[in-house]
Amino acid sequence: MDLTLSTDQRDLRDGLRAFLRDAWTADRLRAAADSPDLDRGAWRALADLGVFGLEVPESDGGMELGAAEAVLVFEELGRALVPGPLVATYLAAALLGRPGAATGATVVTWADRTAPVQVVEHLAAADEVIAAGEDGLWALPAGKVAGTPAGIPLDPLTPVSHVVELPAGDPVGRAAAWRDRGAVLTAALQVGVAQGALDLAVRYAGEREQFGRVIGSFQAVKHLLAESLVRVDLARAAVLTAALTLDDPAAGDLAEAVAAAKILADDAATAGGRCCVQVHGGMGFTWEVLAHLYLKRAWLLETGFGEPGVHAERLADRM
Amino acid sequence: MDLRYSDEELAFRDRLRAWLAETLPQLPPAPDRDDWPARRAYDTAWQARLHAAGYAGVDWPAEHGGLGASPTEQLIFLEETARARAPYVGANFVGLLHAGPTLIVAGTDEQRARHLPRILRGEEVWCQGFSEPDAGSDLAALRTTAVRDGDHYVVNGAKVWTSHAEVADHCELLVRTDPAAPRHRGITWLILPMDAPGVRVRPLRTVVGSSEFSELILDDVRVPVADRVGAENDGWRVAMVTFSFERGTAFIGDVIESRNILAEVARLARATGTAGGTLWDDPGLRREVGRLAAEVTGLWALARKNVSEAAAGMVPVQGASVFKLRFTESRQRIGDLAARVLGRASLAMSDLPGAGNGRLVEDRVNTLSFTIAAGTSQIQKNILAERVLGLPKEPRWTSP
Ligand SMILES: Cc1cc2nc3c(=O)[nH]c(=O)nc-3n(C[C@H](O)[C@H](O)[C@H](O)COP(=O)(O)OP(=O)(O)OC[C@H]3O[C@@H](n4cnc5c(N)ncnc54)[C@H](O)[C@@H]3O)c2cc1C
Repeated sequence: MDLTLSTDQRDLRDGLRAFLRDAWTADRLRAAADSPDLDRGAWRALADLGVFGLEVPESDGGMELGAAEAVLVFEELGRALVPGPLVATYLAAALLGRPGAATGATVVTWADRTAPVQVVEHLAAADEVIAAGEDGLWALPAGKVAGTPAGIPLDPLTPVSHVVELPAGDPVGRAAAWRDRGAVLTAALQVGVAQGALDLAVRYAGEREQFGRVIGSFQAVKHLLAESLVRVDLARAAVLTAALTLDDPAAGDLAEAVAAAKILADDAATAGGRCCVQVHGGMGFTWEVLAHLYLKRAWLLETGFGEPGVHAERLADRM
Repeated sequence: MDLRYSDEELAFRDRLRAWLAETLPQLPPAPDRDDWPARRAYDTAWQARLHAAGYAGVDWPAEHGGLGASPTEQLIFLEETARARAPYVGANFVGLLHAGPTLIVAGTDEQRARHLPRILRGEEVWCQGFSEPDAGSDLAALRTTAVRDGDHYVVNGAKVWTSHAEVADHCELLVRTDPAAPRHRGITWLILPMDAPGVRVRPLRTVVGSSEFSELILDDVRVPVADRVGAENDGWRVAMVTFSFERGTAFIGDVIESRNILAEVARLARATGTAGGTLWDDPGLRREVGRLAAEVTGLWALARKNVSEAAAGMVPVQGASVFKLRFTESRQRIGDLAARVLGRASLAMSDLPGAGNGRLVEDRVNTLSFTIAAGTSQIQKNILAERVLGLPKEPRWTSP
């Protein structure tokens, strides 16, 4: 048993972190929030780093790594608030081998047929839509999916479209693996969102002064931040364990690990986002400060691949 | 990265499982909660069995009589004993988890030879005399004095919340030996024999109604200088050694216990009839069960991550505080959930016919202490905010 990162894993994570720090600066995020069309160049840059091909076989140009590496990478993407249908494109490459997904040539989004209201992320930017039913998966050219873009999306970096009818499409696989992996990768993004929100809040708490001292010296503020830290650490351990169970299903209880990871990561991100807004005071309610972007992303991701209540019921059924 | 135990670890686990399966049915019934002599006898007999089978002091170094197990084997030991519902460490807690490890690190050869084998064999019970009426979270405010008189210290003062004091043979005692020195530098760590003249134990009644802990009154108690651990006035550092053990892996077995309790709550909810069905039909209740199950799964993942980090030589300050904060909160939420399922059967701590309430209600009340003992939740948050997040330190005590 070993849950510590290898040198290669650390290098992979640190390399991506350094790249994202330069690529997705606060100013870039602010600009993207005001013109949220997906930046294809940035998308291809991620693909060039191998982000979408992590689990793709080397013979197909991928890195042939596992879900354990994927969650390290997705945590960094979440932390940097990178926009785009990351999970769907990743899964289209890793699970379905959809042409162009790994190289960044094809942007893939997805729709959940079981949802009572169809709201699809990044539909206008996408080339392909994967529709997931109870059991099956279907691929549709994005152009065949008629959607009405929402005038004001909740997460300014994630345009959403309302879709009334999803056409049939070509069957491309089973939904179970898509949903499990999607939940774990989404949970990894959430851990990153939670960590990013915590970092921002800690930085502000160390700078902002009131009553003649930095606000981070007030215990009420300290404890809010410590509580965020606890949630992130717990979620990170759960997500890592879920990923390792995906890589080696006989080593654990996959259904339990997946559900726990999504529940704890959603909690870490949504509560962490709120904490970040609160610690910023009035600044936290401004468009300018990034705090709202973390919280809004957390709210968005919470709805994808099973909201926490659904996963909680699954866990309860297993008790 | 790998979730699986190695072949050696699996062999260790299988041996232990076999031994537990053979041994546990031979144990006498657990004694009454308030019968302290019987509890001591039960806990130490269990320790003696562990010793005879080679499982005493799993995490202690082999050269001091322990098993010298790796952190992972220690995790397996705690996991398997909890799963098999083996007796809890109980009265052996302070000896095995605090005093013994402290003597290993800071004791003299003579002190180790005198105490370590007896602790391992279950022949010696220890208690911890750190907290005082005016020194709890702020432990360095302690005022119990020890004045040198020839080759003895003469100790005067009072300790409080001393768990198992009634049945202990020895007490790890923190005393002030230099009242003029800065607070942390005037403290000394002594081995106090509980039968020394001048030691009075006054049991305190807890919210559970039991007497888990006591007050210690110390009047002119003479402690040989040879029973000092570490240098005079260096007791704070020695005590910190003890704490690093306390906040390590102490709660791991309890995660398994949490899962058992949660499963019991789910079983009760399925079995409790309501107008049109059972309590389990309530999705709100099921979701709360599911959320708590996620907590338990996450805590187990975190425990394993902490153990992996310890095995890799990292010091889990962050992991231990994070774990303690979240585990203790989850445990309290599980207690509340149990009460919700029990309904008005939660109004009795003793068993009502067929209600399955007693243990759950007692546990709910008992877990109130979890966020207080061994560093309150507020203190843990201060630690995380300052040592991990790097926020400014709390105002420190200054002399008035
Ligand atoms: C079941 C149980 C068993 C115990 N067994 C032992 C034992 O065997 N030996 C032993 O020596 N001790 C023992 N203790 C004592 C335990 O270590 C103390 O209770 C604990 O450290 C808190 O100290 P206190 O009770 O004096 O509370 P206080 O320190 O007075 O705290 C009261 C409240 O104030 C808060 N507070 C205090 N300081 C701060 C701060 N700086 N910032 C924010 N909040 C703060 C606390 O969080 C708490 O909510 C035991 C306690 C319990 C409950």
